[in-house]
Amino acid sequence: MKSILVIAQNTYREIFRDRILYGLMVFGVLLILLSLALGELSFSEQSRITINFGFTAIHIGAMILSIFVGSTLVGREIEKKTIMTLLVRPISRTQFLIGKSLGLMAVIFASILILALVLFGILATLHQSLSWDFLVGLYGVFLEAMLLLGVTLFFGTFASPILSVSFSIGIFLIGHWLDSLKFFTEKSSSPAFRYLGRITSQVVPNLEYFNWRTLSIYETKMPLSQVLMASAYAMAWSALLVAAAAAILRKRDFG
Amino acid sequence: MSILKIEKLNKSYVRGFIPKTYKVLHDVSFELPSRSVTGFLGGNGAGKTTTIKCLLGLAYPDSGEITFFDGQPLSENVKRRIGFLPERPYFYEYLTGVEFLRFYGQLSGTMKKNVLEDRINALLKRVDLFHAKDKRLREYSKGMVQKIGVAQALIHDPELVILDEPMSGLDPDGRFYLAEIIREAANEGRSVFFSSHLLPDAEALCQRLVILKSGTMTYQGPLDTFLQKMGEAAIITFLASGTKQTVRVETEADLQTELSKLIRQGASIEAVKKDRNLEQAFIKMGLRGDGT
Repeated sequence: MKSILVIAQNTYREIFRDRILYGLMVFGVLLILLSLALGELSFSEQSRITINFGFTAIHIGAMILSIFVGSTLVGREIEKKTIMTLLVRPISRTQFLIGKSLGLMAVIFASILILALVLFGILATLHQSLSWDFLVGLYGVFLEAMLLLGVTLFFGTFASPILSVSFSIGIFLIGHWLDSLKFFTEKSSSPAFRYLGRITSQVVPNLEYFNWRTLSIYETKMPLSQVLMASAYAMAWSALLVAAAAAILRKRDFG
Repeated sequence: MSILKIEKLNKSYVRGFIPKTYKVLHDVSFELPSRSVTGFLGGNGAGKTTTIKCLLGLAYPDSGEITFFDGQPLSENVKRRIGFLPERPYFYEYLTGVEFLRFYGQLSGTMKKNVLEDRINALLKRVDLFHAKDKRLREYSKGMVQKIGVAQALIHDPELVILDEPMSGLDPDGRFYLAEIIREAANEGRSVFFSSHLLPDAEALCQRLVILKSGTMTYQGPLDTFLQKMGEAAIITFLASGTKQTVRVETEADLQTELSKLIRQGASIEAVKKDRNLEQAFIKMGLRGDGT
């Protein structure tokens, strides 16, 4: 367990010392600030636009971290051969993978927190009261990022970073359009197309389960049971994907 | 005590769009006694790095047995007793020297925090990097990276140190300094196993050799025995007609003949020096170059 934490801590430090993260943070903050300017153009919708832009910035930031940083998380260690000096230490390949994932998850969590604080600060100046639904919305973004990180890690163990990013973006898009895909394929007259739709909905995670970003705008309440179900769904997918990635990594020759 | 024993190690790789199998190691077997400095030699592509990867669990052999410390297979406990420096190392350049060694020290297991901190400082002084301990590795020169790499291999006080081409790409100063560190490690009772294609360095450091050619082991044993086997060349320095001259002979018989001839001619023999070195022995064995 200690080895996993040491690797996680090092991964956290690696990403936090990378300029990409700062670029991403600046982009997120600018997007949130842009909402102030856009809000001025609308009548009495300032808070709604700010919340919408704020959640979009946080969502995009978390997904970029999951997909782009996640795709190089293991690949870079293999390419630069740093993995060789790690795996000759008393740690297993699975522990290495879990440590790397936990490190990036901690960065994603911290990034969501930082951008959320900026958003909360702006909303406070607009005298917008904060509700529990904000946190539920943020938690949804984190769950989606965690699941997507599992997807990227899985692809990253056998594909190049570019392919891994492409596959993960594909899963991200299909994952958000899965309900529409199911709806339209079921309406199709072609049995093959209907079958394809069913198979896709089985093998691709439904990322709309975590889309709670508009709750605070429309003041909709999310039942706790649904939050717990979605958490279990995200964790099960992540565990499955990390286990599959670990199984591939265990078979690999390095160097 | 055998610190490492490899028996009938075979390894092949499958490469290419149309998969083709390339056999890299053929029944490689050798043994390292404890407290020895062993050079692992062979041309480029001879299979040195593949052997090292197999023995450290970084690549899976097709067949063969690898044991450490009198018959133990590679395990977490065995890994705690081994230090390793890969070829052309690239390290986490965002870490400072101290953070880098702390990271590997923590990963290696059981050292208490204060013991680890003391060891980090001692090693940084020993590899002459204490002045750069708070600099990030991206600011280190190639020689400094190699030195910190050796320090990470020694951070957990290992019994066996495996170095893959540690001298490669270093300037003469860097090679000299690294040779000193290897000597010190050996003097502390560690077994050192290092691959190299820089024969003068290997000759200066090793007591034993393991030599690979095209994935097949061609020699294992003491360095002296190898050199003796490989030839009896000598250089005769003599004075004739008031001028100093030298002549090189290849065999013991030639030496005797040449000496008799020179004495008969009235030359004054000044010195007879055996002229054998690893480089020449390699050329003689056809081991130089690409390992073929």
